[in-house]
Amino acid sequence: MADPIIREALLSALKKILDAPFILSTQEQLKPFECDGLSVYKALPMVAVLPGSVTEVQEVIRLCHQLKVPLVTRGAGTGLSAGAKPDPEGLLLVMTRLSNILDINSATQTARLQPGVRNLAISEAVKQHGLFYAPDPSSQIACSIGGNIAENAGGVHCLKYGLTVHNVLQVSGFTMTGDPITIGNGGLDNAGLNLLPLIIGSEGMLMVVTEITVKLLPLPSQVEVILAAFDSIEKAGQAVSNIIAQGVIPGGLEMMDNNAIRAAEDYAHAGYPRDAAAILLIEIDGSPVNVSEQLQSTRKVLQDSGVSSVRIAKTDAEKALFWKGRKSAFPAVGRLSPDYYCMDGTIPRKSLAEVLGYIHALSEEYGFPVANVFHAGDGNLHPLILFDANQTGQLENVEAMGAKILEKCIEVGGTITGEHGVGLEKIRQMPLQFNDDEISQFHDIKAALDPDNLLNPGKNIPLLKHCQEYRALAKNLQPNQLLIQHESTT
Amino acid sequence: MQDSAHILQDQVQQAITEQQPLSIQGGNSKAFYGFAVQGDVLSTSAHRGVIEYEPTELVLRARAGTPLSEIEALLKQHQQMLACEPPYFSPTATLGGAVAAGLSGPSRPYRAGIQDTVLGCTVLNGQAQILRFGGKVMKNVAGYDVSRLMAGSMGCLGIILDVTLKVIPSTKAEKSIVFTIEPDRSLAFINDLRKRGLPLSASCQLSDQLMVRFSAGIKEIAGLENRLTEHYSFIEWFKADDHSFWKNLREHKLPFFDQARTLWRLSLPADVDVYGLVDNPENVLTEWGGCLHWLKTTKPATDIFKHAADNNGQATLFRYLQTETPDNIFQPLAPPLAQWHKNLKAALDPLSILNPGKMYVQD
Repeated sequence: MADPIIREALLSALKKILDAPFILSTQEQLKPFECDGLSVYKALPMVAVLPGSVTEVQEVIRLCHQLKVPLVTRGAGTGLSAGAKPDPEGLLLVMTRLSNILDINSATQTARLQPGVRNLAISEAVKQHGLFYAPDPSSQIACSIGGNIAENAGGVHCLKYGLTVHNVLQVSGFTMTGDPITIGNGGLDNAGLNLLPLIIGSEGMLMVVTEITVKLLPLPSQVEVILAAFDSIEKAGQAVSNIIAQGVIPGGLEMMDNNAIRAAEDYAHAGYPRDAAAILLIEIDGSPVNVSEQLQSTRKVLQDSGVSSVRIAKTDAEKALFWKGRKSAFPAVGRLSPDYYCMDGTIPRKSLAEVLGYIHALSEEYGFPVANVFHAGDGNLHPLILFDANQTGQLENVEAMGAKILEKCIEVGGTITGEHGVGLEKIRQMPLQFNDDEISQFHDIKAALDPDNLLNPGKNIPLLKHCQEYRALAKNLQPNQLLIQHESTT
Repeated sequence: MQDSAHILQDQVQQAITEQQPLSIQGGNSKAFYGFAVQGDVLSTSAHRGVIEYEPTELVLRARAGTPLSEIEALLKQHQQMLACEPPYFSPTATLGGAVAAGLSGPSRPYRAGIQDTVLGCTVLNGQAQILRFGGKVMKNVAGYDVSRLMAGSMGCLGIILDVTLKVIPSTKAEKSIVFTIEPDRSLAFINDLRKRGLPLSASCQLSDQLMVRFSAGIKEIAGLENRLTEHYSFIEWFKADDHSFWKNLREHKLPFFDQARTLWRLSLPADVDVYGLVDNPENVLTEWGGCLHWLKTTKPATDIFKHAADNNGQATLFRYLQTETPDNIFQPLAPPLAQWHKNLKAALDPLSILNPGKMYVQD
């Protein structure tokens, strides 16, 4: 529970910084902010604020530093790893009101943004200049660039154009002491150490970002979308490797299995073959000559890989429809069961068929259906495990099954999270990927930049004692053994 | 194939015991870059060999001491290449040195910088611990991204033992063209080329000559002349050997790079003018579509650092006469950022054993 004396001191000081409507402190006011997109982890913060200026952000940070109050920064709240779950003894800094596009420079092909600018709004705003912002997470209609920075967000087009870390030049904001700090610059290289990658993906644990400069890219002059259907997952997985191996890097290369295909087709009527074991959506972009060359070679690779049918979208409307099925796959799967749990492991492409087979076997063992819809070109899996959280024990069993999937990802040389972040959700699996010395090094880095451990404490990097407990348990991992206590306000 | 990680680890352990700084070397090809370090030499050159290379995964992992030339030759056999065209500056250049120096070649703005292609690395830190960060997959957000932090850290945070890089398919065809255009019109022109979907892969402006390289599929390059002449009338195909021009640019072997003189490297937003910093416009060579400038100038360092800072960029005194002792080689940092540098150095190398003072006097 929050200390009532600190709470009172905080509230009274906040009233001098922000107008009353932007300080939230009652249960009713705080309820909408109790979780991010992973709603099984929730807690009410001690207080939430919605600053309307960078100066207000700075004053709030200084106040938290002075009172030693933990500070959790939140963007649009679409994160999928509970990275923005509030701290019950802390302040939640909600950045949604800082949503201005500060500058679009078509000469340098850059844009300066406040953190609350929605991801899709960037590409919409720069389209008139023939430009776009490449990283496009599935939540791009709602998620904000500040949150994208925190999580190093990916998306469909990252295969060719890179992640958030590859598309950001500069971030400015504040250290936990409230001192202004700028990382990167308007050129392509940092001054001093290469700190941008350290900040991007640091889950709000090293600084608070109030301004971002992103790189923009010229819109490709031609885009083609291929829908390829396969009668087995193995063939589809092999086709993904074969496409990359022949030297073509598609703009996007996505895969859906039969459960996902049927759910998406029922929802979006995208024209997907309902009987296919798997489909690939392949986007080829570039100049007309290049696109035509790559289309030809990709078709040949698909045929050599045993494709059942190939369709190339003939009109812009058809292209949009092919993508609509993919982009609405998560809500479409959501209609199949009361809840789903979205995983995010990444594996070498060559292991796709093996790991998908393993997930299928786990699905049978645990009795939870799984729909797979994911960034196949990057090897970034998103198994959606369908369950009902209201049934006692189901959530815990799903998490145990999820843990096995992540362990398998590590076993084949992959990672526990490709783009959703560790947050709280995957913190228990961190010791699978890192040893104690490595975890300690992470803690030392955190302490170097936030010595009081006030920025988003308890996320991303586990305590060493928890690592040792996890490893001891994981040796004899059984369903139900790796339970966690979900914090709740109820 | 030589794994000498534990020999290097023992050397760091001994340095800790004796509190003796180490000067880290790979192929010693970039010894001129940064401040000289007073310390016992720790050479990674014996720690060499490709550990893992799977062409279908576009991923290569090799030990730090592996010569860059070996890596590029291996990739070439499989029609692949490094995205960032790292400079060698000597045939002895190693992978670890290339990553630690963080320098990228002419293709940087159109493909990737060396830091962008790092997927993972194994690091020997200043406490003699061998730590592995990142991995071998394209997307990986578990923990802090220490592996990309190592790129460009000049050995000040840790000794890179091995690196996993993303590689790309080789370019199938290339063609280079000279445009006659004044520098102040060059950026708009390059943007125009890009918006037409022309496959730029490098640029180099020297006086009123703009050299541009295009890289793409065979058909696209074959049709390039027609596409260009449709829109532009003032072009000339390269007469010299295209490939060696870009290699010589990368290696500073063009006549512009008179190595007897001080050479500045300015990384700036593409629309910043640098001609006020030189007596003669011929003393500026601009790459990266206007984002990277090489300057031969006698202006005081403070003026150059100030121009870079005022324009939201950075300057580096890339080469200097050995008779001089510069106050700063790298762009001076604002106080909170300088403090972060010190704190991070202390977090990874608490006794300041590894390349102390290589980047900043105070580190």
